Amino acid sequence: MDVAQEMEDILEELAAVQKAINKLKTASVSGTQLRNRIRAVQRKWLPVCGNLEAGNLIDAGHLQEVSNAWSSILKLTKNASPKAQYRPLLKLIIAKTESELLNKYIKASAIQTIGDPLRKLVQPISDQDLLRYLDEAIRAAEANCIKASVVLAWCAVAFKIHQTLARLTMPVLTSEMKKMKEDKGLMFRGFTKEYAFNTEPDIQEAADAHLVLLCRFLAYLDDTQYKGLRNALDLRNGCGHPTGYEPDPVKLQAYFSDITQLVLLNPKFA
Amino acid sequence: MLEKLKSDFDTILELVKKAPADLQETAFRMILESWFLSNAPQTQKSQNSEAPPPLAPSTPDAVKPFLTANAVTTQVLGRVFQPVGPGAQLLASDLPGSGKAAKLVNLSLLLCVKQALETGSFNCTLKDLRQMAVHYDCYDSPNFSKTLKGNKSFYSPRDKGADLVLSGPGQKKAAELIKAISAGD
Repeated sequence: MDVAQEMEDILEELAAVQKAINKLKTASVSGTQLRNRIRAVQRKWLPVCGNLEAGNLIDAGHLQEVSNAWSSILKLTKNASPKAQYRPLLKLIIAKTESELLNKYIKASAIQTIGDPLRKLVQPISDQDLLRYLDEAIRAAEANCIKASVVLAWCAVAFKIHQTLARLTMPVLTSEMKKMKEDKGLMFRGFTKEYAFNTEPDIQEAADAHLVLLCRFLAYLDDTQYKGLRNALDLRNGCGHPTGYEPDPVKLQAYFSDITQLVLLNPKFA
Repeated sequence: MLEKLKSDFDTILELVKKAPADLQETAFRMILESWFLSNAPQTQKSQNSEAPPPLAPSTPDAVKPFLTANAVTTQVLGRVFQPVGPGAQLLASDLPGSGKAAKLVNLSLLLCVKQALETGSFNCTLKDLRQMAVHYDCYDSPNFSKTLKGNKSFYSPRDKGADLVLSGPGQKKAAELIKAISAGD
């Protein structure tokens, strides 16, 4: 059963019923044809409700609320009940089904299957330790912890960047940072911080944004790639703090695609 | 490089003449573009000369006829999808179209092209379309089926709930859309 399709059909039918009730010139819904039509939609709702209950993908409270409204509307159809009693119930069922059930169901089903495309993206990575680490990020996503997944995956990116920069040796790295500070080009003129790297852990103390900029300065990334990686870092920063921002699975997939392409599988960071 | 272009120019013109008259200008541009890509000298922008070149996107063969027939260059495609090949992601942060219905149809066309870059076939599942539509805020659940039905000429005939497969007009419309997004319309 395609639950999303069924819910769409129910919503379509309910919108038509709502229109038909509004058009009625009588104060009550007395015609058996219209009442039978409502009962038929309710019968369609039952298997969908069962499926949603069993799937455990959406909030049980919202499901109960919609089910209760359906029970009330079913009672109304037994007699010629006033239109005014139908209206709020239909409005509630349509609004809740759309926003709390259907939209949430679509997002939750995307979460359920997010692991496959993400694993496919990181599969070509040959470093087994890195792969295991990324798998943890993917498992976080599968558990609907998208923000945690974003932050964890960025740690893998930061690790690769640190590793690549450390290979330059500390004196070279310090000197390149100095050169970047002196560069008055459009992209680098805003960078004014002084860094002195003595040991590898010093790199970890540097801001990720500055290290990413240095990767652009060293031409490990071109302008477009730099922009893409900065966007990924912005997403990581948005997820690293308790804010109201909620990235969805589509955003997460794009993020994984970007970080694998730009750093994790980029030969310049090998 | 100029010498090599001079020697190859006649061959390029011969190839262009084989294309229909109204497509010759486009064919000339595409062939020339491809010639420059394969003959341009390797310039090293980096101070680190040991760094390998960036990853080159590879467009699947199955998509090439679509690109040629609709005069869509790899550069144009690259402004809408990245990478231009397997793993392609839609770059647009907003979809063209006024209203949810128009956006949904445009999204479906783009997703079919995205899938073609992945597997070579211009199709898209309704599940993927719904997920992306929620992401792009153009999911209008009561009218989802109605909107697709209203634009059925873009898709091959299908049963209810079946995947969307782009028809000829659908591919043409998708190409126009890609060019419009790329041009920043």
